[in-house]
Amino acid sequence: MGGFNTALFFDMKSNRETINLYSLTFRVPIIFWQLLFFVGPVLFMVAMSFFLVKNYRMTEAFEFINWTKMFSKNYFWDSYWFTLIIAFISTLLTMVIAFPASFTLAFRVSENFRRWAIFLLIIPFFTSYLVRTFSWYVILAEKGVINALLSYINLGPFIMLNTHIGTLVGYMTLTLPLVIILQTVTMANIDKNLIEAAFNLGCKPYLIIQRVIIPLSKTGFIIAAVFCFILSFGDFVAPFYLGGSQEPTLPILILDTTKSGQQWPRAAVVAIVMMVTLFAIAFIGIMTAYSKSFKNDKR
Amino acid sequence: MTKDKFYNLILKFYLFFIFVFIFTPIAFSIIFSFNSQRFPTIPLGNFSIEWYIKIFNDAEIWQAAINSVVVSSITCLIATFLGFCTAYSDYRYRFKFKGIYLALVLLPPTIPLIILALAMLAWLSKIGMSGQLWSIICAHSVLTAPFAMAIIRLRLNQMDPDLEAASWNLGGSEWDTMRNVILPYCRPAIISSLCLTAAVSFDEFAISWFVSGLNKTVPVIILEIVQGNIDPQVNAIGTFVFFTSITLVITAQIFFLTWQMKGKK
Amino acid sequence: MTYPLVSFKNVTKNFGKMNAVTNLNFEIDKGEFLAIMGPSGCGKTTTLRMLAGLENPSSGEIRFNNRLMNNVKPHERDTPLVWQSLALFPFLNVQENVEFGLKMRGVSSKTRQKKSLEWLEKLEVRELAKRDISTLSGGQKQRVALARSLVMEPEILLLDEPLSALDAHLVIRMQAVLTQLQKELGITFVYVTHSQSEAFAMANRVIIMNVGEISQIGKPKDIYRSPANQFVAEFVGRNNILSGKVYDIKSKIAFIKTNSGNYNFEIIDKNIELGHTLNYIISADLMNFSLVKPKNSNIVNCKLISEEYIGSMVTLFLESVDGTEFKIQMQEREYSKLNIQNGEKYWLSWSKKNVHTLKKD
Repeated sequence: MGGFNTALFFDMKSNRETINLYSLTFRVPIIFWQLLFFVGPVLFMVAMSFFLVKNYRMTEAFEFINWTKMFSKNYFWDSYWFTLIIAFISTLLTMVIAFPASFTLAFRVSENFRRWAIFLLIIPFFTSYLVRTFSWYVILAEKGVINALLSYINLGPFIMLNTHIGTLVGYMTLTLPLVIILQTVTMANIDKNLIEAAFNLGCKPYLIIQRVIIPLSKTGFIIAAVFCFILSFGDFVAPFYLGGSQEPTLPILILDTTKSGQQWPRAAVVAIVMMVTLFAIAFIGIMTAYSKSFKNDKR
Repeated sequence: MTKDKFYNLILKFYLFFIFVFIFTPIAFSIIFSFNSQRFPTIPLGNFSIEWYIKIFNDAEIWQAAINSVVVSSITCLIATFLGFCTAYSDYRYRFKFKGIYLALVLLPPTIPLIILALAMLAWLSKIGMSGQLWSIICAHSVLTAPFAMAIIRLRLNQMDPDLEAASWNLGGSEWDTMRNVILPYCRPAIISSLCLTAAVSFDEFAISWFVSGLNKTVPVIILEIVQGNIDPQVNAIGTFVFFTSITLVITAQIFFLTWQMKGKK
Repeated sequence: MTYPLVSFKNVTKNFGKMNAVTNLNFEIDKGEFLAIMGPSGCGKTTTLRMLAGLENPSSGEIRFNNRLMNNVKPHERDTPLVWQSLALFPFLNVQENVEFGLKMRGVSSKTRQKKSLEWLEKLEVRELAKRDISTLSGGQKQRVALARSLVMEPEILLLDEPLSALDAHLVIRMQAVLTQLQKELGITFVYVTHSQSEAFAMANRVIIMNVGEISQIGKPKDIYRSPANQFVAEFVGRNNILSGKVYDIKSKIAFIKTNSGNYNFEIIDKNIELGHTLNYIISADLMNFSLVKPKNSNIVNCKLISEEYIGSMVTLFLESVDGTEFKIQMQEREYSKLNIQNGEKYWLSWSKKNVHTLKKD
């Protein structure tokens, strides 16, 4: 980056604080837009969790009945813990499965190859998750592609649909490309000399991974894990179509209460519980990510 | 040395396997769309364009396709406009509560779609806006503006900070400078952003499903078909959807990478 | 009544709590080549930015031809700036870059083309007119940046360390180009730099700044030979700066006691009295070197520590018995004849006429 004069270096630019028609033109529109279509909806949803439903019609009120009803239901708590645990397992599994691939992309291939790989990995992230899930449905089915292939070697059929395996495969369809990208970018940014030095000092490969690579990429890894958790925790497609939804996750609970039961306020309760959980996890994740890397810096 | 080569081979094989896992559903969706079987499996049935003919003659799907195109093209314009404004405000100015301002813009994609969908549904019916294409567009632009912001902000980061002042110095007002310097400089990023936000909007199903009412988009149709029985029509529609979004994403990436390279020079 | 082209009156600029420049008072005349020089963070760039209107003074007045400029926006001024980063527009070709300012001023496209080519011609880069900026070399970019500013035909041209990114040999060439241009066009140049050689080689007048204040204004020679304070003496040139107390005065000659010995100097219209503590400064190029003890009154016996070559000149670093460091500059040709060695002891001497003194507070 050329052109860093001293004035900029010390952030000495008074025109950065000007307020005039020009600056407001760029600043203000999105504030209104987000208030109207983001803050408004979310706050209204919070308010809605206190509304009443009578004769299938929602009336504005301030009652805690939706909260007490939901919190007293066993199926809510079952669903809560199930979602938490399966999202956690999905995160762990995705991180572990992604690691060797990211490791290879970060250290064992040329920079050009890595760029192309990331180019490819971005594509599925932005292409229809729904169609990909449906495709898995066909592939994993009892008479689907995998079991058909296995039958040639006299194995199977394995039941994969409507099991946790189905749910996890669906989650990974969503999260794996993103996690590999984040892990790869994090590890590719590690100073290669450090690894070289550790290797020359006689460090065993697995020790290099454990003592050098993982500590140095902790921040990036935790961020990848947090994203992975958020995506799995909030997804309804995989557990619904591939997991069979006998054990409903929280998103499915929202879906059912909204779409069939007309119980929007109770769905709002579930949604708020989900949001609070996610914020707590994201917060803890980010705090540990940065505190740990700080400790490493001090060492 | 040979041991290292052995590890290398295993790792690369593993990487290949992961890529197969990621691209298998896309590949099979395309393959099955040309397959005559009602329940597609291996061995494949005959080559057939039956499903394509079926969707081609389906007025509802046509309407959904038109809706999708309308929604994603208006969404990408609004989102890119909003994203550009925010990126520029962040780049150029310092102001009170800037942290909150940026959080307000960047937060939506971190909230699960199902929650956004529920909130949007409730709010839009409250303010009397639900069930229209506009409802989807508004919701999608909130969801996609952060992507636009991120891409354009990255571009502005590469800009020589003196460029803007150089234009003022040569007699350009702030508005002249926006038109003659900032916008031309950001053009590749703006094109990238248009494509990417259009792709996200084109594929989004949860919010669309909740707020669309009778104005269904393509992903909503897919969702509804999938809820019924296995119907290979989905593969045919899916193939179209894939090609649309892959084209958009690749175009975005090409523009993105081109200016990344140029920035390095 | 005639006014100076630019005048600064009690100009102060704060950035929040930080003082960038304090109480600047100076004038710039038509047609002069003024250099503003100082270490980084001294406020020289802020001063230049205020001239261009990119910053507004926190207090004080800036006037152009007696017109108050304090709140005139940058684009309403006629003060083109040649940027340290050059700030050429990468999405325009060479000619479009040069035309940019004219376009902003609403000049017709025909005139724009004519003028831009004229100026590219003057700067000897006309053949590059259709080229992409990224394909140019450093020196070519420099010329395009100059053309882009000069095509505005301003009264004053601002330059912010424009040569800092160039190779040494190109710097010398561009210095010649700039001096030549300035003479030919008769435009006022205000040139900000941290490089003493650039400032002294080109400017008619130099402002030395330190921590936001003006330390000295004057002709290069005056600043070099009679620094106004210790900062300037240390910043400018290779000066030997000793410090001591006046213990005797005899008929316009003062005697001073320093750590490394007792010396004298001629008093030239300065109030020097017995007991004053002074900085006693001898420029390194005014020192004499000898192998044997000279008969001079100002002498010191030193051990040679090291030498440093710059072009045809060499600077020797020596140390007296008490540890005071001395510098002497001489022609390399002379030096090689002497056949002297590190660690050996030699004599330095200087004339009492070549001493510059500064009173210490």
